[in-house]
Amino acid sequence: MDIDRRTLLKGAAGAAAAVGAGAVLPVLDPPPARAGRDYDVPASLPVDRVVRTTCSPNCTGSCGQLAFVRDGVIVKIQQAADYPDLAYRPRGCMKGLSYVNHVYGADRIRTPLIRTGERGSGEFREATWDEVLDRIAGDLTRIGETWGWDTIHVFGQVPGSGYIQKGANYRAAATLGLSHGTSFDFNGDLPMGMPITFGVQNAEHEAKDWANSRFLLLIGSNPVETRIPDVHFLFDAIEQGARLVVVDPSFSPTAAKADAHLRIRPGTDAALALALCRQVIADGSWDAEFMRTYTDAPLLVRGDSGVRLREADLVAGGAADRFVAWDEVAGAPLVVGTERLGFPAGSRPALEGTRRIALADGSAVDAAPGFASVREELDRWTPEAAEAVTGVAADLIVRVARAYAAAKPAAILMGGGSNHWYHGDLTGRALALLAALTGNIGKSGGGFSVYVGQYKVRVNTAPWWNAGETKAKVVPSIYFVRGRTDTMHPDVPYPENGWHGLVCTFANLFVQAMDVNRLHETLAGLDLIVVVDHQMTETAKWADVVLPATTWYEKTDLTATPLHPFLQLQQPAIEPVGESRSELWMWREIVRRIDPAKAAAFFEMDEVAAIEAILAAGAEPGGPTEGITLEQLRGGPVRLNVPDPDVPFRRQVEELVPFPPRSLPVPLEKTAAFIPTGRIEFYKEEARFRELGETVPTYRPPFDDTVHPPADWPLALLTPHSKWRIHSTYANNPWLAEIHGGRPEVFIAPPDAAARGIATGDPIRVWNTRGEVVAWAHVSESEQPGSVTLHEGWWPRQFRRGKGVNELTSSAVNPIHEVHFVGNMWAPSTGWKDCRCQVAKAEEA
Amino acid sequence: MSATTMPAAPAAAPVPGRRALALWIGLLLILIAAGVAAFAYQFATGLVVTGMRNTVMWGNYILFFMFFVGLSAGGLIVASAGRLFGVKAFKPITRLAVLEATIAVVLAATFILPDLGRPERLLNIFLFFNPTSPMIWDITIVIVYMGLSAFYVWLYARADLARRGSWLALGTGTSERTLAREERLKSAMAWVALPAAILLHSITAWIFGLQISRGFWYSSIMAPMFITSALVSGMGLVILLALVLRRLGRLRFEDDLVAMLGGLLGTFIAVEAFLVFAEYLTASYPGAPEGAAVARMLVGPYAPLFWFEVGVGLGLPFVVLAIHRLRRDPRAVAAASGVAILGIFVHRLNLVLNGLSYANIQLPPGLPVGVDQGAGTSFATSYWYVPTAVEWLIVAGILAFGALLFTIAVRVLPMQEPEAH
Amino acid sequence: MGDKVSPIAALSPASRAWGEIGERSEHPRWGMVVDQERCIGCWSCAVICKSENDLPLGMWWNRILTEGDALDQPAQARGEALEMHWLPLACQHCENAPCVKVCPVQATYHRDDGLVMQDNDRCIGCRYCMIACPYGVRNFNWGAPVRPTPYETGMVAARPVGTVEKCTLCVHRLAEDQVPSCVWSCPTGARVFGDLNDPEGRVATLIRDREGFALLEEVGTKPAVHYLPPRRRNPL
Ligand SMILES: Nc1nc2c(c(=O)[nH]1)N[C@H]1C(S)=C(S)[C@@H](COP(=O)(O)OP(=O)(O)OC[C@H]3O[C@@H](n4cnc5c(=O)[nH]c(N)nc54)[C@H](O)[C@@H]3O)O[C@H]1N2
Ligand SMILES: Nc1nc2c(c(=O)[nH]1)N[C@H]1C(S)=C(S)[C@@H](COP(=O)(O)OP(=O)(O)OC[C@H]3O[C@@H](n4cnc5c(=O)[nH]c(N)nc54)[C@H](O)[C@@H]3O)O[C@H]1N2
Ligand code: SF4
Ligand code: SF4
Ligand code: SF4
Ligand code: SF4
Ligand code: SF4
Ligand SMILES: [Mo]
Repeated sequence: MDIDRRTLLKGAAGAAAAVGAGAVLPVLDPPPARAGRDYDVPASLPVDRVVRTTCSPNCTGSCGQLAFVRDGVIVKIQQAADYPDLAYRPRGCMKGLSYVNHVYGADRIRTPLIRTGERGSGEFREATWDEVLDRIAGDLTRIGETWGWDTIHVFGQVPGSGYIQKGANYRAAATLGLSHGTSFDFNGDLPMGMPITFGVQNAEHEAKDWANSRFLLLIGSNPVETRIPDVHFLFDAIEQGARLVVVDPSFSPTAAKADAHLRIRPGTDAALALALCRQVIADGSWDAEFMRTYTDAPLLVRGDSGVRLREADLVAGGAADRFVAWDEVAGAPLVVGTERLGFPAGSRPALEGTRRIALADGSAVDAAPGFASVREELDRWTPEAAEAVTGVAADLIVRVARAYAAAKPAAILMGGGSNHWYHGDLTGRALALLAALTGNIGKSGGGFSVYVGQYKVRVNTAPWWNAGETKAKVVPSIYFVRGRTDTMHPDVPYPENGWHGLVCTFANLFVQAMDVNRLHETLAGLDLIVVVDHQMTETAKWADVVLPATTWYEKTDLTATPLHPFLQLQQPAIEPVGESRSELWMWREIVRRIDPAKAAAFFEMDEVAAIEAILAAGAEPGGPTEGITLEQLRGGPVRLNVPDPDVPFRRQVEELVPFPPRSLPVPLEKTAAFIPTGRIEFYKEEARFRELGETVPTYRPPFDDTVHPPADWPLALLTPHSKWRIHSTYANNPWLAEIHGGRPEVFIAPPDAAARGIATGDPIRVWNTRGEVVAWAHVSESEQPGSVTLHEGWWPRQFRRGKGVNELTSSAVNPIHEVHFVGNMWAPSTGWKDCRCQVAKAEEA
Repeated sequence: MSATTMPAAPAAAPVPGRRALALWIGLLLILIAAGVAAFAYQFATGLVVTGMRNTVMWGNYILFFMFFVGLSAGGLIVASAGRLFGVKAFKPITRLAVLEATIAVVLAATFILPDLGRPERLLNIFLFFNPTSPMIWDITIVIVYMGLSAFYVWLYARADLARRGSWLALGTGTSERTLAREERLKSAMAWVALPAAILLHSITAWIFGLQISRGFWYSSIMAPMFITSALVSGMGLVILLALVLRRLGRLRFEDDLVAMLGGLLGTFIAVEAFLVFAEYLTASYPGAPEGAAVARMLVGPYAPLFWFEVGVGLGLPFVVLAIHRLRRDPRAVAAASGVAILGIFVHRLNLVLNGLSYANIQLPPGLPVGVDQGAGTSFATSYWYVPTAVEWLIVAGILAFGALLFTIAVRVLPMQEPEAH
Repeated sequence: MGDKVSPIAALSPASRAWGEIGERSEHPRWGMVVDQERCIGCWSCAVICKSENDLPLGMWWNRILTEGDALDQPAQARGEALEMHWLPLACQHCENAPCVKVCPVQATYHRDDGLVMQDNDRCIGCRYCMIACPYGVRNFNWGAPVRPTPYETGMVAARPVGTVEKCTLCVHRLAEDQVPSCVWSCPTGARVFGDLNDPEGRVATLIRDREGFALLEEVGTKPAVHYLPPRRRNPL
């Protein structure tokens, strides 16, 4: 569409004529200016008060908001723009501003409800709190005593957006022995490449640091829509001369801002990343010293077993956790400890070449640096080979590699689009390799960051989340949806008697969970489903008992987010609407009814006391909340005690402290076990990696291709996040629906649409072997032929038919994700985008 | 071609019985009552009960306003031009034309009321008169013109009323001197009325034509086009009404007059068609953006209306009136007049619809419609305006009001201009 | 109903500082610059406008157009690279305002500082100003307002039915030295508010340095709102 934006008027005419007439004929001059009427009002209508709180759907924003209260009701919500660090002003989005419509809107749940019809029928009667609490306490006790308390699953979504109210879930689970679900892995956000490579849950640069970059490579990340409060940092970088390259199968709004858009075939990012790595090496623009110093590249791997050579192999009585490199200077093996990165002065560990090493038992073994295996894999990924897989032109790959390597610092930002795949871990590992090869790790403006989910626990939550010394049993929720797998890690405390109850809170589980039809099989076997929410969601509709929760404008909580390291309060601006109550209050009442003694021990604490306990627990020197007081928080956001800018691995890189840094809230040893070398690991020696041929970063075709062969299921179904919602939250917002139209659209490329006789606006069926939905087609050039996009988060009632997009998605578990187990840190991460389907015009209803 | 002269007038016109008249007036009163009720409802609820929205913010009311201003101007131009240029043959229909003009302008003024969001604030127009607004001048001229034409009607009827001794003569007499003075006054009035009528409709045209925001309207040809279309519709209506009155025995004239008026009407139609063509050619030839509006008019969703205007509204009556034999058949001329009037109505409709149906800035999602749409977007780049029942009821009520005025007027006022003079 | 305070006076110093207009000339002419490069089409400015001014459903004083095929969709490619930009659009507060010219009752008028204002107590609801406005930014109150909340919201009184309304440049905030709400709420800093009469001010400087333009310049409305075009791409 060739519009000259200066000439948008379809019926423009001579400017001179109009202006001229005004000048020539005095009568045509506008009447003289006057003042003092109507809108010349001196000031706004007054309010009772303005309350500072924090917006916290399941969004990484956690933007400070001001609630303007008049006559006891909220009359406006506006971003607070009060961050002490000016770089974080502004901060907000249109959704947060429109939350007032959920506080008072048509879907607000105002009283406790008890189901009267069939499950899912949405028929309820209003009940008193006493009645529902007695009922829940009774049912939980019966289930607990019959099947075991651990057969009750508490699903409470990401805790970072509410340490206190969501923490109450953990505390209750710990108190009563319930199984607490996971969120970060369940959400598919856990970038498994991170624990595998760096031994951390995830580690991203704070958003402000984007502005310090000279080159921004965005892969499967759409910050223009999904990081609205932070996206201005990209523009700040661009204004300083940085380049923006976006890798996305669709022409996303972020791609619209890019200097180059690489239209990649879905699920093939790893191939692209490997080709970039190979090119950087081929061009000689890689940083061998960095690889030697910080990564496992020089550590020798035994040719016979594929396991690393250890000191114990070389000398009798040697340590099993000390590794071996080949010193080119001495021409001899060099034992490498894990206390410190780097190598003794004067040594020069080899990065290639196989050597024959004499072992303690007198035998000898061929061993080569891990990096040799990496290079062997990379050698396959010529630009042409990558083009064949990814569809990105070979010369473009070369140019991106050169521009990326030339820019210092250069940042890689990976998002859900690349991570939400069965093999998303491989993509992460390959991109981490690219960042390491160019020495971009631990440097401001550089790095490899995965921006997914609101997950990070940034404070010491132990005094509130744990019941004394007892922690909640954590079971990955994917096992709740699909039952246990054969390859499940033995440490997972999966309940012996399966599942018998569910408490779902802060989540729209039956819409947002994968493989929803399978989930319903689990649900059918449950004795009790409790849903806590303030919106009458599809999930609430399936509940036996619905508890009305307060919103973040009606209660007290403490939040922090991965992208901007500020601790913030939620403070009630208004009285709870209707009969709604906070989650902490609900749990206290339930526990009191089940076991008054335990309630007395663990639940006679209010929000403020819990916050103070958390602040105190992290207040030690160097602790996350050192020096932060409740008083300060009441006045506004306070920066956590983290370096500024918050750049992961800086200490490792600058001070040679071994990897990994700690991932709160688990103790360091737990995650350190993921990388026994204490280095960035690009070679994984654990048996399952070897069995599956994934010791080094490699590429695997999308997993769902094996379930739905592309020949029969020609379209990839991409379900990214919508700008208009946070998942399913805001989907029912009337203001936003006025803009986007309020019904699910499936974006389809013109050739795919033409082949099926589909036009924009047609109702279409989207189906695979797991389910089927009917939505409306939108034929658009933004979509790549071979894939369709249906944004996640639409409510089932907004579809023409079906339970929502997650009828189609897969709950397949990658056994690599089960090699270790720490909930939310090394656990099965969902492949939302790893899904194939077929599309056809729907018959008229 | 047959040279047969038609009989002068139907020998014995069936004078409608009291019963028929009562029925007719009863029907009109019912329609008026319905219109008033609809207006009251609209006043209480807001214009949300109309089919108009932010996108198409003017609809039926303005359309009928324009249309009736045109009818009025056309009628008065015919009457006063006849007098000014001494076209004696027009004489038998002069009174009718003036009466038609008067009632039409009253209706036009009435149509403004329901169009206003705050009709009760109408007086603000006089309190806060804004001289740069074409609308203010239009309303001014409508008011002036209303007085003028009413006086004109009276002037023509006065002598006869005086002769009948009616109070409506307002105490004036029929002396030779008075009559002579009256003749001079009539001539003078024609000099005033003709420009007034032209001004009336030109200003109405300028309400539209001066708006640079609406490329479809922004054209200097707008006023001439409005004048010709006024002539077409005004002449058409005068012909129709004259024929009706002749049937009802309230007016006498020869068929020759019909043929002559028909010929004139045909000429007006030709000029109108020429202007329409010239306008749209100019708009579309450069391939500039406003051409898009013309293109939409020619082939877009409203295209049938345009082709109706061209084919039925202009083409058909022109052909009928161009054929000498048909022109001499009053029924043919009546039919041609009828479709020509309809054609002009559709012409105005096209002007409003095509000028407003597409947002100026054609970028998605468009402009806010203005009311809650339930689920679904509240924006549109184009809008399909369909008048609601409320709008039609109000229109019907005002039309009935006009018909009632006319019915009363033709009963009260002597319509026949004395032969001798 | 208790002691009420101005919503601006009630702000914390940090928040308040964010909204301060700051420097201006002696006779300011208020204006705005919208940076199309920074604009991400998020509609925050439009939504806060709705909230600030209590706009009922169906009404928007401010909206974001997509320079593309559909909302947030790029223009149909004709073999070239896809493109998409956003164009936020509200009243341009024209110096030569057609709406002011045509209003029969002077219900829409200029203030000394150039703001085009609307007197809803005088407006007769003829909608002529909507015809005249080339930008389509005026809204008519067609009927009783429909809100998602059961009460009136916002910081100004609702306008009566049957009258026209539009962006006021948040005149009620200007009085307290605060930028309009849309400027405050833009998450990318794409909107800059200031005094067009101050040649060294931010607004004037940006317009100069970044080749700012006005919409529909050819119709001669002389808007107070200016746009900065999207940057040229820096291809690999
Ligand atoms: N507005 C909004 N913001 C949000 C959320 C929300 O729901 N709405 N959710 C928050 C949460 S919890 C998360 S996890 C994040 C997620 O936000 P993002 O990390 O941005 O992830 P997605 O939106 O899933 O996908 C991003 C892009 O990846 C593209 N994509 C899809 N498949 C592939 C692929 O195979 N390769 C590549 N390179 N790209 C692909 C999609 O087209 C899409 O444009 O957003 C957070 N922010
Ligand atoms: N197909 C597909 N599915 C996906 C994804 C995808 O990319 N594709 N993305 C996944 C990702 S990354 C994520 S993070 C998940 C998110 O999945 P969810 O977190 O389940 O999704 P939300 O819609 O944010 O649901 C939050 C619910 O919490 C409620 N809520 C808000 N505040 C409160 C409160 O104070 N108390 C209580 N009790 N409830 C409250 C809201 O009303 C809402 O119903 O979805 C996943 N699902
Ligand atoms: S929805 Fe997310 S991005 Fe928007 S204001 Fe709330 S926390 Fe910020
Ligand atoms: S943009 Fe429209 S409403 Fe605003 S001043 Fe200009 S003409 Fe008037
Ligand atoms: S609608 Fe109101 S403001 Fe607009 S022109 Fe008419 S009277 Fe003036
Ligand atoms: S200046 Fe105020 S009224 Fe105008 S668009 Fe911005 S928020 Fe709305
Ligand atoms: S708030 Fe800012 S970025 Fe968002 S649409 Fe408005 S101007 Fe553009
Ligand atoms: Mo997420």
